[in-house]
Amino acid sequence: MALVEVKEVHKVYKRDSFEVPVLNGISLSVGEGDFLALMGPSGSGKTTLLNLIAGIDRPTRGTIAVDGREISNFSETALAGWRARHIGFIFQMYNLIPVLNAFENVELPLLLTKLSKKERREHVETALRIVGLADRMKHYPRQLSGGQEQRVAIARAIVTDPSILVADEPTGDLDAKNAAETLDLLQHLNTDFKKTIVMVTHDPKAAGFARRTLHLEKGQIIEDTANGARAQA
Amino acid sequence: MKYFKLIRRNLFRNRLRSMMTLALIAVIFFFVATLLSILELFNRFEDQGQGTNRLVVQSSISLANPLPYAYEQKIREVPGVADVCKLQWIGAYYKEKKNFFANFAVDQDRMESVFADYRIDPKQMADFKADRQGCIVGTDLVKRYGWKIGDRITLKRQIFPYDPELTIRGIYEHPVNTAALYYHMSYHNEAIPPMMKDHVNTFWLSVKDPSKNAAISQQIDAMFKNSEFPTETVTEKQFQASFMAMMGNIKLLFGSISTCAVFMVILLAAITMSMSARERVTEIAVLKAIGFEKGLVMTLMLTEFSLLTFAGGALGVLGAKLIYMVVPMGKVTQGFLVGFQIFPMTALLALGSSILVGLIAGGLPAINATKMSVVDGLRRVV
Repeated sequence: MALVEVKEVHKVYKRDSFEVPVLNGISLSVGEGDFLALMGPSGSGKTTLLNLIAGIDRPTRGTIAVDGREISNFSETALAGWRARHIGFIFQMYNLIPVLNAFENVELPLLLTKLSKKERREHVETALRIVGLADRMKHYPRQLSGGQEQRVAIARAIVTDPSILVADEPTGDLDAKNAAETLDLLQHLNTDFKKTIVMVTHDPKAAGFARRTLHLEKGQIIEDTANGARAQA
Repeated sequence: MKYFKLIRRNLFRNRLRSMMTLALIAVIFFFVATLLSILELFNRFEDQGQGTNRLVVQSSISLANPLPYAYEQKIREVPGVADVCKLQWIGAYYKEKKNFFANFAVDQDRMESVFADYRIDPKQMADFKADRQGCIVGTDLVKRYGWKIGDRITLKRQIFPYDPELTIRGIYEHPVNTAALYYHMSYHNEAIPPMMKDHVNTFWLSVKDPSKNAAISQQIDAMFKNSEFPTETVTEKQFQASFMAMMGNIKLLFGSISTCAVFMVILLAAITMSMSARERVTEIAVLKAIGFEKGLVMTLMLTEFSLLTFAGGALGVLGAKLIYMVVPMGKVTQGFLVGFQIFPMTALLALGSSILVGLIAGGLPAINATKMSVVDGLRRVV
């Protein structure tokens, strides 16, 4: 069953008086439990497509449905609430809040829920345990390595148990070892926790960890391939 | 409350900048609280005494123009007038010109009746009345000069050609006017040259029914309209206000300085808050991406900014309160600011303004930061 349905989506950005078309009638389905890698050269529209699926941007034309609900018509407030429940974000630069420690960063999305302080603590500890950072809860981002920061960001993404994880170049700022560990963690979340993941990457090796790879060029899908044998860290 | 930790941490994310901003706001609000308290002191001066049931008869030409003693009996006969008391501004000083305070010659036999709000021990009042050169002084003067009952003091002349030689016979208490000296009108009248005798610059009268104030004032002024000494009868509040006005529009000046200071702090705080908001564009985008609504993010930012300005304001107001508890402003200002303190209402007004400063100064940066789309915010390299 398709968790994400993208139909005939166009996205045009306005830059001063110019219109810049980024996506040109893209359609795709992402099944529940899928791990999809979006690849393509800069400007191909892969990050824009990711943003549309994550509900932080709106298509100029076309529809996007997630779990059977058409999200492109949601109000801004409704969309924020929807993202809080259904989407987990992983960014290239980790984007942790520097004034909060690892525990507090992971707790952030839970502040929007009605969970008690005790319940929030349990969820955060579980998420940090899954990413292997249970012993770094009190550390601030500046006290963590890049790989550890990204793992905290992954813990923040999974703490609310969202339907979809969206990752924009999650290994783009990491060395090879940390990149491999991060990808392994994502694969683990996909395989063992059945998380649906959509990941943008430039790196074919990273894409090898996904089940399926979409190649975009000039705002269109030019190739959709299933990865038979998935890469291992 | 669950967001308080985030607010608190953001408040001091750049410790040096926050502390400098806090100190700057504190200093400005120290002055704002001071200026507002001076204004409040002036207002209290205008409102001092019984106010509504006392009228003052003065020359309609100028306060410096005296009125003849003979008016007293005529005023007393006006229906509704309870009693009349002569009061003359002397304008002398004690030892040196810097020791200036309000000093008056008063009709010693009528003072108790007309100025019933001046509390004094009956024995001291009797001693004052019995001694032609006796005087009574306010509690603040006693503190300032270390006087006690029985002390002999000499005031130095400025307006009238004699130096009043007086003995302190009593110490009065009053809610506002705590730094004045009163001595016998009869002593004053004997000491001045013949051409000045039997004249006084004000008659203070108590009325039976304050609602008749306007009618009584009209009747008195009509009575002397075509005389050599026309009068203007006003309420005590109006009299004090006109007295204050002689110092120039000092209230407007102080009010304007306070407004400028608040405006300045808004601008300075706005710069700091703009920097703070600009630094956090990506973080704000992340918060919005993970589900924080725009309104919530803006509320968090405005709470943070208001807390900063409120903390600065509280520090300034509290500092002023403590300093003026220790520093005798009456003495420092040579009697100009007797009874000066940071009044509770002034403190509340200053604290309220400090919160408002945070909301106004932080409003635009917060709106700009939160209205930026998530995508643009994430793309922004700060």
